Amino acid sequence: MIKRPAYPPRNTAIVMRSVLISLIPGIVAMTIFFGPGVLFNLATSIFTAVATEALCISLRGRALMPRLRDLSAALTGVLIALSLPQAAPWWLIVAASGSSIILGKHLYGGLGQNPVNPAMLGYALMLISAPVAMTTFWINPLTTPSISAAWAAYVGQANDALTGATMLDLYRTQFLSLTAIEASDHPLFTKAHLGLIYGYEWVALSYLLGGLWLIYQRVITWHTPVGLLATLIVISAFFSIDPDTATPVWVHLIAGAGIFAAFFILTDPVSGATSPRGRLWFAICVGVLTYSMRTYGQYPDAIAFSVLLMNFTAPMIDHYTRPRIMGHESSVKGSGGR
Amino acid sequence: MADYQIRHCERKLEGGIYTETYKALSTAEPCSFVNTPTRLTFPIHFSGGGPGESIVSIGDQVAKRTPIIRCHSGIIHVASRAGIVVDITDHAMTHPSGERSSCIVIEPDGSDTQESLNPLSWPFDANTLRDRAIEAGVLGLSGASFPSLKRWIDGTTTLIINGAECEPYITADDTLMQIDTHSMIRGAYLLSQALDIKTIVIGIENNKPEALTAIEGVLKQYHSNCFFDIVLLDPKYPSGSERQLVWLTLGIEIPTGSRSVETGVIVHNPGTLIDLSRAIDGKSITDRLVTLTGQALARPRNVIAPIGTPITDLIEAAGTDPELLDSITVGGPMMGFAITDFAAGITKTTNCLLARSVELQPESPCIRCGACATVCPVRLQPQLMLFALKGGALNHAIHEGLTDCVECAACDTVCPSHIPLAEWFRLGWFQTKEISAKRLRSSEARERFETRNLRLKRIAAEQDLKRLTRKAKSSEALEKARKAREAAS
Repeated sequence: MIKRPAYPPRNTAIVMRSVLISLIPGIVAMTIFFGPGVLFNLATSIFTAVATEALCISLRGRALMPRLRDLSAALTGVLIALSLPQAAPWWLIVAASGSSIILGKHLYGGLGQNPVNPAMLGYALMLISAPVAMTTFWINPLTTPSISAAWAAYVGQANDALTGATMLDLYRTQFLSLTAIEASDHPLFTKAHLGLIYGYEWVALSYLLGGLWLIYQRVITWHTPVGLLATLIVISAFFSIDPDTATPVWVHLIAGAGIFAAFFILTDPVSGATSPRGRLWFAICVGVLTYSMRTYGQYPDAIAFSVLLMNFTAPMIDHYTRPRIMGHESSVKGSGGR
Repeated sequence: MADYQIRHCERKLEGGIYTETYKALSTAEPCSFVNTPTRLTFPIHFSGGGPGESIVSIGDQVAKRTPIIRCHSGIIHVASRAGIVVDITDHAMTHPSGERSSCIVIEPDGSDTQESLNPLSWPFDANTLRDRAIEAGVLGLSGASFPSLKRWIDGTTTLIINGAECEPYITADDTLMQIDTHSMIRGAYLLSQALDIKTIVIGIENNKPEALTAIEGVLKQYHSNCFFDIVLLDPKYPSGSERQLVWLTLGIEIPTGSRSVETGVIVHNPGTLIDLSRAIDGKSITDRLVTLTGQALARPRNVIAPIGTPITDLIEAAGTDPELLDSITVGGPMMGFAITDFAAGITKTTNCLLARSVELQPESPCIRCGACATVCPVRLQPQLMLFALKGGALNHAIHEGLTDCVECAACDTVCPSHIPLAEWFRLGWFQTKEISAKRLRSSEARERFETRNLRLKRIAAEQDLKRLTRKAKSSEALEKARKAREAAS
């Protein structure tokens, strides 16, 4: 057992490295259930992100090595690869990864200056500009592709037999007219896979494991994940009073990007709220927005848009969640600096 | 036997950090005296107590404790050894700016001639004690070394002895509490008597058992009508910061913008009280205890050195060739400052000289991780203050609590981007003061301008009046002359 450190890591590169390490279980689970395409995507995305970062830094006339060494670009690359459809063609990955570094990060001044989460910006951009690819190239965990099939998808010859709508999408479209019992007859729920039940929950559990390790290492605090997951649970449980019309709690939790986002996306310190209480509020608001958009919105998963929207409110949340400074009678609220 | 109790502090410092203390480095060898150096330097404006003027001239023979500098605030600094004033010139000094400024240079002649003041005998009142502290050059040794008299106003109910020497490496106060315990207790007691204080709180960290035993030993034999409340603190940095200590020991939060004395509490370091005790006996302050420490020194230890001793001599006293060192930190690793010119003499506030090689980590941009906020002892959000300061929004930084920062630099220690946050906040604090000074100056200037205008107006009005009267007089005279002429004709 590694001893729990008393303080967060004292080096930006170590912070990023810890996050990368904690993603390993999730990546392994993704590869097992969704095939080797995940690894192709990862390689492409990391390469694009780091290359774009290097290009941007040299265009901006800054020193290259200190910034590349902090691994932040590589982390953005990994996060975006894990968010995109597993059978996505290479150009989608390159476009998403490159635009997240350029538009999400360097247009604002690089590391530490971005108002929004770069990975989610790249994701949302792709969702708007390539909606078909972004909604249909998801691997069906019941048909894990072989290396050759994954490579075919990677170079742009996707096989319809391998891909399908995600579970959240099913609930939004096909299950609308079904009762809860009828929906549970869907092969995704009935067929066992690799001796386990179905892929999504194992992937979610692996991310959870990595996330808990991050909390243990003090890289992130509990506020963000608890805020998001608790909000999703509470709201979806409330609406599950009528199981025939509502998406079940567990689907909200594990089928989409819920757990992944709770530990790895919302916890981006740069674009999120910064005080513990602020982080809790930030995550709760993302939870509310996500539930609303998943249920009433146009897109099956809504984490990206919720995070982007809330990113813009982070400075305001920071202003209103300031702790009371020692020696002050009450906390200083609202904006300062007239 | 004095009435006393020992209790564990029931409050926990919010924020703060536990660091490796390295205290054992300098306590392995016993405290010793250093040889009288060949030169002593005394900065005229930066000896503590504010700017001043020299009251000796080149060639003067001075005895030990002959007054040599009088500060405009009244504080008097004395020669720490007998000798000859050989020069008054620009000289390196122990100051964060690293600048040179005019200093009195004395070459000790080895003689033992000395002056002293008349000892004060009890009873004396607060004013007498205050005047004596000024005359003997006792500075409130904590932090900015402002004259301790400022804190001595009526209405104080509690005296806190700050035995929480929480900065790593430094053992000066710890040593003083062990070797001069009686003077410390006596100084505290006499001060309390003069100010009519009934409770003396001793805040001491629980990693100083020797000092605690020494204090207990003295208290057992001490006769006093004060109550001594010894509070054992967790050795967490910065428990020894004044505001934190007052809160930890008494549970009082000093309101923002005010000093501890305004809540009826005065806080003094052991060194101040020992100096005070000496001053009462008529001995002005000539020596101080300095911790010489750090991995780069061969024989780290505590020494008692005459004020004005060049840093070079002290490094040599610690068994290391000064040539080998590039810079030395004055004060602790957290709040100290580096100086490179070792010809500078120590001042009354030099509590520690720290020599170690530090690997400077390259700074990278803030990622708003908030680690700094979790260790801030006053619950500030350093990351937001930094953002405001870097953007030049000083007002915003003040709104975020810039002026509440105690500059403990705990945030620097945990920052993964290695940003010198405390340095930024110090800079911001200076800018704030500059702005308010400018505002003051401009309002003064406006006032001056307005008075001048008024004066000019008044003068003009007077001249008008004069002219009118003159005119009136002359027309009157003309009239008279005309009438006289008419009458004559």
